[in-house]
Amino acid sequence: MSSDYEYDDDDYYDDEDMIDGTQDDDEISDDDMDIADDIKSAAKGKLKSYEVDYDSLSQSEVEKHIRDDTEHICGILGVDLSTAQLLLRHLKWNKERLIEAYMDNPSKVLVDAGVALTESHSQPQAAPIRTQSSSSSGSNSRRPTRSSSKLIPSRSSRSSPTSPTTSYSIPKPLKASKSIQHFLCPICFDDDPALRTLSLDCEHTYCSGCWTAYVVSKVRDEGEHCIRCMEEKCQLVAPDNFIQSILVPEPGAPVGDPTEEAENAKVWARFQELLIRYFVSCNRDLKFCPYPSCTNTVSCPSASSKLSLTSVVPIVSCGARGIGGQDEQLSQSQGRLGALQGKEHKFCFGCPIEADHRPVICAVAKMWMKKCRDDSETANWIKSNTKECTNCQSTIEKNGGCNHMTCKKCKHEFCWVCMGPWSEHGTQWYSCNRYDEKAGQEARDSQSRSRASLERYLHYYNRWANHEQSAKLSLDLYAKTEKKMEEMQITSALTWIEVQFMKKAVEELDKCRQTLKWTYAMAYYLAKGNEKELFEDNQRDLEQAVEQLSELIESPIEPENIPTLRQQVTNKTVYVAKRNEIVLEDTANGFLDGRWKWNASVDGFDDPDPSLIAF
Amino acid sequence: MSGICRLRLAEERKQWRKDHPFGFYAKPSKATDGSMNLMEWEVGIPGKSSTPWEGGLYKLTMTFPEDYPSKPPKCKFTPPLFHPNVYPSGTVCLSILDEEKSWKPAITIKQILLGIQDLLDDPNVNDPAQSDAYTMFKNDRAAYEKRIKLQARENTQK
Repeated sequence: MSSDYEYDDDDYYDDEDMIDGTQDDDEISDDDMDIADDIKSAAKGKLKSYEVDYDSLSQSEVEKHIRDDTEHICGILGVDLSTAQLLLRHLKWNKERLIEAYMDNPSKVLVDAGVALTESHSQPQAAPIRTQSSSSSGSNSRRPTRSSSKLIPSRSSRSSPTSPTTSYSIPKPLKASKSIQHFLCPICFDDDPALRTLSLDCEHTYCSGCWTAYVVSKVRDEGEHCIRCMEEKCQLVAPDNFIQSILVPEPGAPVGDPTEEAENAKVWARFQELLIRYFVSCNRDLKFCPYPSCTNTVSCPSASSKLSLTSVVPIVSCGARGIGGQDEQLSQSQGRLGALQGKEHKFCFGCPIEADHRPVICAVAKMWMKKCRDDSETANWIKSNTKECTNCQSTIEKNGGCNHMTCKKCKHEFCWVCMGPWSEHGTQWYSCNRYDEKAGQEARDSQSRSRASLERYLHYYNRWANHEQSAKLSLDLYAKTEKKMEEMQITSALTWIEVQFMKKAVEELDKCRQTLKWTYAMAYYLAKGNEKELFEDNQRDLEQAVEQLSELIESPIEPENIPTLRQQVTNKTVYVAKRNEIVLEDTANGFLDGRWKWNASVDGFDDPDPSLIAF
Repeated sequence: MSGICRLRLAEERKQWRKDHPFGFYAKPSKATDGSMNLMEWEVGIPGKSSTPWEGGLYKLTMTFPEDYPSKPPKCKFTPPLFHPNVYPSGTVCLSILDEEKSWKPAITIKQILLGIQDLLDDPNVNDPAQSDAYTMFKNDRAAYEKRIKLQARENTQK
């Protein structure tokens, strides 16, 4: 399915299209427009080796793709739009599979997709045939033929799912069975003659109140877009216009409870979002922006295959900023988020990590995250509270008693203080003055070897965690500095533009610390050798530069030293950005050249040489 | 919403009193002050004849959520039942009682109870809910049936 979207096709997102803010053939809702402008710049220009080519799509742009796909299927299969949609959703938006399955056995596909009734409920020729659509025109022909007040589905009624509607605006016939006397809704048992009743093609009729309650609970509570008839075992799926007619009052309809109508309108919007999310989740080239209440989608065909993820780190941005359009309020209420407000929605296209984890690839980043989650605290605790049995290496916590230890597992007796065998201690039960004995030293050596891998891990982990912490602290610092600079604008002759260097420096620092953080994850898994040494050299250079800049930023700001400070900070910022670029670029090129070797087995790479395995 | 819920439950109660399958009972529970609580029903499901379940009347509590019938009721055997699809807490694991599987608002209390009765002698091994009954059912059918018969005797109607 992926082959059909050519997102990088130029005329599709033609710039002029966006600049004048008009779309020629489809309506774009107003709130999507501002985002669309940002998106344009995202993927233009020459790409660096650590960047990927991607495009950001607003909700309405994804809707257009959905419409194109649906119309394509309408044309090929000769079905109406809402049928095509249900069919496509049923086959996970795989057009080829749908066409194949439909050509093979149309009625089966229609039944499975919940478009048509099963054979036992319908006439044999239930399957829509192209010629049918021209003969039966308009929705009037689809009135219920039922005259009795019984609620048994009338099997004789027409059940052709096709109606020749080609537009979304004409609803599929909703069976408004006003003619029926003594209608009793089988869900709520209301028999008010004024009740508005609805049913799908199956003719299982319920009152509109019950339908609304059911649809609302399905959409809002369960996040379900595939809503089947309320009758037991009835597999018919409600088409979109049916859902719309339930949730959105038709123009001219009597005005209902305004709060309820507003609530239902929200559910309708949610329903449409669910449809888009489903479409996006079915397409490997697309990913929904994971930021809260953001509805943009990113298309990144170059990272859609598992194999590609072994050489690129697809960090993308949906183009939107801040959180749910309320970033302004946020920045006012939370000063510390000052520098964060309007932060780009950056995330990884290839894995669930919602941050820029360059330069390390997804598989390794994931391994590291898992290890940190599982091991960090435990490892720290083990390191400070336990020792290992010198005989069987079991980890032992001494929780009381004397220094004469007996390993529960291997029954080895040893001294907790010198780690030597207890037999050498003779009768000195409660103290150990034999720390320098040979046996004790050897035992401690073997212990320290077994601790080495733990130490190694903690070395990398502590640095990783440190950069994360420092990044947070520098944001705090920035918030404070910003205040001070604001004051200075008032008290001194400095202008706004002259005190902006700080902001830039903090932003750059944040970026570099993010890179540095992940270089530790990378270094932990890199096999020993020249390549690793070069990598660590680059890492060290960046780290030094970052720490220097960090220090500069923390130096006290006085009006008289501002010009020098500004000079120094600006220079350092440029240098740091350069070093960061080098680390990212070199690592990315390394992946493309296949230069990196791991000390653990990583998805998509050859298993490491046994001699390189570090732990 | 709760409007639909209570209306529907009152009607279910009416329908049940008019007609219900033989051997079953179902009634809204009574609070200590004697008032009726429509949201929680006490029901009894008889084991089918000529099955090891025969003779037993299995007590069950049905708890209806506020958004019933959009959401299914929770059905819980009290005391918990020895059955592969009954959780140790007594809750029944059945597709028609799962809103994300086959629950539909049109399913009546009668249909639920008949469904649970069917489940008694026809457990679904793909969806085990307790390990004791499941392992015994899989590995030692004779012992399982013996245990079921014993359970039926423990649950006979007074």
